[in-house]
Amino acid sequence: MVIDDSRAMRLILRRIVTGLNFDVVEAGNGREAMDRLTELESVPELALIDWNMPEMNGLEFVTAVRADKKFRGMTLMMVTTESEHGQIVRALAAGAHEYVIKPFTPDAIVDKLVMLGLIPDGAHA
Amino acid sequence: MSATMAPTGDDLQQIAEQVWASYLDTDGEKPLIPLPPDKLSKDVVAGVAVRGAWHGLVLVACSATASKEAAAALLGMEADEVSEGDVDDALGELANVIGGNVKSLLPEPCTLGLPEVHNDAENDPWLAGDEICRFEATWMGEPMEVSVLEKPQGGETA
Repeated sequence: MVIDDSRAMRLILRRIVTGLNFDVVEAGNGREAMDRLTELESVPELALIDWNMPEMNGLEFVTAVRADKKFRGMTLMMVTTESEHGQIVRALAAGAHEYVIKPFTPDAIVDKLVMLGLIPDGAHA
Repeated sequence: MSATMAPTGDDLQQIAEQVWASYLDTDGEKPLIPLPPDKLSKDVVAGVAVRGAWHGLVLVACSATASKEAAAALLGMEADEVSEGDVDDALGELANVIGGNVKSLLPEPCTLGLPEVHNDAENDPWLAGDEICRFEATWMGEPMEVSVLEKPQGGETA
């Protein structure tokens, strides 16, 4: 699942992860993502989450997802322009597994997904 | 603002070049050239407000042509297919990414607002403030500018 209020950024991330054989569901903010999660038949393996979004921001989404046992299997990766150490700590403390700072290259996303064990080493976007 | 905490034009150049290399010039064929254009343009201005220990705006300004080319590059389409909504989304995201990186150079704590895009912003009151730094460049032969404006605490950022 790709969660970002920018259609351009969702498209960039979609291109990268579809190149890694993921099917993609998109949401424009955390609230929309929560709604999509309740509609989906299975829990997504991975969520790529922006921080600054209207309605429900990325940190609030991470907190909400982590409060529901149903979504325990979903890997949460923040993909955000919030680069201060304190913000990274907050996101990880709330339950995010990994953190990528914008601007990123496709290889940066691939490296994180390899590290998380979601794709094999040597995969290319 | 403390001199040690102020971003500089060099900081803006470094951030902008990283953003261009990641999203707008991935194949190295459309580089952002750090040369001031003959004439700057505020046809399209995208900005994000920073609030907290520091108060102001981080702005990306460019010509209408450059804004369409940027949207086309980000969205993987031709410039003549780009809608006004596409330009708003693309330029807003560029301002968001640049703004977040600039925020990390400012006093903490600060929060980043959501992007806002203004057209024909030459005399827009939104752009009133003290300019802290600026980076002027040419992209695809068009003017492009990144700047940071400080506003009085309690002043309007959006």
